[in-house]
Amino acid sequence: MAVAIGNKSFRNVWSKAIPYLLILPVVVYYALFWVRPVLKTVFESFRDTAGQFTLQNYAMVFSDPDFIPAVRNTAIIVVFSVTLEFLAALFLAILINRKFVGSSFFLFVAMVPMALPAVAVGAMWLTGLTAHGWLNSLLFYLGVSKKIYWLAGSEWALLAIIIIIDAWQVIPSVMIILLAGLQNIPVEAEEAGYVFGGNFITVLRKITIPMLQSTIQTAVILRLISAIQIWLIMVLLMGFNRLPVLVERIVYYHEEVPGLDISFQMASGYTIIVSVIVSIAALLYLKVSGAFGGNQEARQ
Amino acid sequence: MIKKKPTSLAKIIKSTIFYLFVTTLGVGILLPAFFLVSLSFLSTREAYQFPLPLLPALSAKYSLTFGDRGYLLSVYDDFDDEYQTVLDTAELEKMSVYMRSQIGAPYDIPDIEDRIAELESGTDPVYFKARKNLLLNYDLFFKVTRDAVPALIRSLQIAGMTIVISLSIGGMAGYAFARYVFIGRDALKFSVLFVRMFPGVAIALPMVIILANMGFYDQPIGLSLVYSVGSIALTVWITASIFMGIPESLEEAAQVFGATKFQAFLKITFPLALPGLAAAAMYAFLGAWNETVSAIILTQFNPTFAVVVYQTLLGAVGHVNLAAAGGLAMAIPSVIFTFFIRRYINQMWGGVTV
Amino acid sequence: MATLTMQDVTKQFGRKVIAVKEFNLEVQDQEFLVLLGPSGCGKTTAMRMVAGLEEVTNGRILIGDRDVTDLPPRNRNVSMIFQNYAVWPHMTVFDNIGFALKLKKMPKDEIEKTVKEVAGMTNIDMLLERYPSQLSGGQQQRVAVARAIAVYPEIFLMDEPLSNLDAKLRVSMRTELKAIHDKTEATTVFVTHDQSEAMSMADRIVIMKDGEVIQVGSPDDVYHRSASIFVADFIGTPPTNFLEVDVKSENGDYRLVNPHVDFKPESHISESLRDYDKKNLILGIRPENIVLTNQKDAVLSAECLVSEPQGSHQVVAIQLDQQYIKVIASAQPKINPGETVHLAFKQDTLRLFDPETTLAIGD
Repeated sequence: MAVAIGNKSFRNVWSKAIPYLLILPVVVYYALFWVRPVLKTVFESFRDTAGQFTLQNYAMVFSDPDFIPAVRNTAIIVVFSVTLEFLAALFLAILINRKFVGSSFFLFVAMVPMALPAVAVGAMWLTGLTAHGWLNSLLFYLGVSKKIYWLAGSEWALLAIIIIIDAWQVIPSVMIILLAGLQNIPVEAEEAGYVFGGNFITVLRKITIPMLQSTIQTAVILRLISAIQIWLIMVLLMGFNRLPVLVERIVYYHEEVPGLDISFQMASGYTIIVSVIVSIAALLYLKVSGAFGGNQEARQ
Repeated sequence: MIKKKPTSLAKIIKSTIFYLFVTTLGVGILLPAFFLVSLSFLSTREAYQFPLPLLPALSAKYSLTFGDRGYLLSVYDDFDDEYQTVLDTAELEKMSVYMRSQIGAPYDIPDIEDRIAELESGTDPVYFKARKNLLLNYDLFFKVTRDAVPALIRSLQIAGMTIVISLSIGGMAGYAFARYVFIGRDALKFSVLFVRMFPGVAIALPMVIILANMGFYDQPIGLSLVYSVGSIALTVWITASIFMGIPESLEEAAQVFGATKFQAFLKITFPLALPGLAAAAMYAFLGAWNETVSAIILTQFNPTFAVVVYQTLLGAVGHVNLAAAGGLAMAIPSVIFTFFIRRYINQMWGGVTV
Repeated sequence: MATLTMQDVTKQFGRKVIAVKEFNLEVQDQEFLVLLGPSGCGKTTAMRMVAGLEEVTNGRILIGDRDVTDLPPRNRNVSMIFQNYAVWPHMTVFDNIGFALKLKKMPKDEIEKTVKEVAGMTNIDMLLERYPSQLSGGQQQRVAVARAIAVYPEIFLMDEPLSNLDAKLRVSMRTELKAIHDKTEATTVFVTHDQSEAMSMADRIVIMKDGEVIQVGSPDDVYHRSASIFVADFIGTPPTNFLEVDVKSENGDYRLVNPHVDFKPESHISESLRDYDKKNLILGIRPENIVLTNQKDAVLSAECLVSEPQGSHQVVAIQLDQQYIKVIASAQPKINPGETVHLAFKQDTLRLFDPETTLAIGD
């Protein structure tokens, strides 16, 4: 009997422990390779080279002549590209929202730009935007024989180019997401709208878009997070410093001016700024998506 | 009947417009990619013409005649519809090298000698054709770019290790999420989602020192440890949804019919989860393969393939076609794997719930 | 073949939720026992504890003389049919049925023989090479049955096995499962929330509610001698009619009175009414036990609200205050809404329930 009881409690403890054993590696891994580096960055950012508490590092970042432009450029890119991409994608999704022959192929094609590695995208536009590039060639074939010097324009022109490239890369994907969302809306919901006297616009405004809300929120916030981190395309097209943005500053200080004492601090400072901004967006997303709201899908 | 005809005509027009629209959109999406592909097959001479040819020539038409310094080599230009002189030399070696590397249509010295013999015997000018070596740029990219091949191998190593780490660690947690209720479930779910969105660059920088202390700085394993942070989060999410899709009763049935818990997992759940696990692996691959910032920060003498391409592009003023070949070599695995996991990417972006 | 004994079995989830409470049951060898109850009553949990898929918080489970309480499922010698069939999609029908035998290291030719035999019993011998995705729901169900038979278990567990089938198939599968039970003679525990399924299949029915056993008995027992208001209401379609009545004594005779009825029940009931003088009771009577009669013999007269023709009979509903009384009457003559009907009760079928305990009195 004693053995049986011992057995039972062993089996009990063992089966209770299984889930914890399964998640233990993740917890350990995150502690080592996520929490530790993040805390280290935060901690280091408040210390000077002698190890004393200081706010000097932040002061240095804020007084970097490129700091304000970097924040401004990042903000402009985020606001414009997310808005533009979202509106265009919604428009396209509503136009395309039906099953058609070849739709699965089309959806795959639409996914390609987003799937491409940043350097491949860089290669694409770098070869396109030079004076002899394919974009001017294409225009030539279309009858515009004057070469356009794409990358020689003002800062605003460059920003516009970046936003357009980003739009090319992102609109198709956002469109797919919204399409998926649209197709999840029960047909009856919209039909009911028409039956009760709505026209296309009212049904769109009062039924379709509200029902699409959670999809829209997800798409917009996730886009926001990646838009904040755009940098590589600018460096490839225009080099460092020409159109500074936050992540570009990190790489710049780490890679291009590694000799300086302060370069690590500067890079860290920018890292923290990016992290904080992204984290706020991420928290916003998690709040919107209901990740705070307990486990709705827990096992019965 | 009579009434039906006009409506069906309207329908045809409508659907034609629709398909035109969709096709235009598709073309617009693929246009830059098309030019990158095309450019990567252009010879250096073609790549520096303006306008750029839309498609690479498959062969080169040469003509040979007498010149001031020896022989005059001309190449037929499709766009201008004429032969254009490119070289005036008596050195056959130089001529052959030029044909191989600049025109991309190699022609051996003995063959050139034969053509010269024809010229000397009175045929003036001599016309001949050579087949183009379309893969020349790729060949050159890997030969000329310092480190391209070892970098490619390193990138594959890194991706492989990232897959192993994130699938084993993330897969276990995904299974726990799918099958068990445990204390801290919500907290873990939250952190996994949060980590997924956290910028990788923010981990890369402090990891320089941490990895250096571990002896992993500038090593493939170091980068895969960093990539695994984000990729574990993704894997947990993907595998959790895969395991949730496999009814628990399948495992229970196996247990009732004689299997241990572990056997039940191995014989029932695991084979059923394989396609999903493969997708998770491809996701991890893509993450590691495409990433640039952390790779730039965390490597020095042993860059990844992405970094090599990045560096080539930074200094690419002289070699657009080589740069295109490098960029495309980068893009091909990504596009292929994306094709396989497109379903998951969609789910990922539309309303994410673990 | 074996008996199954559950002694004071309790299952608690977390701190608060008690899914099964001090469950006691003895299933006889070769018996077909049905656990019946509304969803969430603990019937499935009770069965899963027998299978070993849920740990027992307290109590013992014995198969024959073996205490299996702490054994993992594979060592219990039970087999189970799952609600969603749980047929493994990546294995052929043959492999599904042979899975357990292979794990037992049975020789190949013997596996083949057994699989063919049970496939024959369940009429799927033509489908052995197919994958479940190529089968209809009914065929998958048969695979699940064949798989469960193939191991020749001591206890056969069936967890709502018919609930995913369409109505017609369900009825024919009932007959087949019963026939298979007769052939295999395995002790069977069958879980369902469908009372007509339970009635038609069971040797004995265990009615559960909120984790507790309410009544155990043969189908006739639970139907005709329902132990509580819950059982009387849960079993039968349409369910038992309930009337609140006061007990009044009149020169030694007891009468049951409410605004609509006032009658003197037959003597066998009178006995038990002694303790309830001047108190309130719930009278239960099944629809088929209310008969149409003439005005003189009527206990209750009322206007017909609706009448639902059923072909073989009609269901006549009348309304008393907030409550409907349903009566099963012969198909002819047809009764129209608005028509006054005179009703009498078959006295020997009356059940009386204590409104406080909800239990039947007089048994």
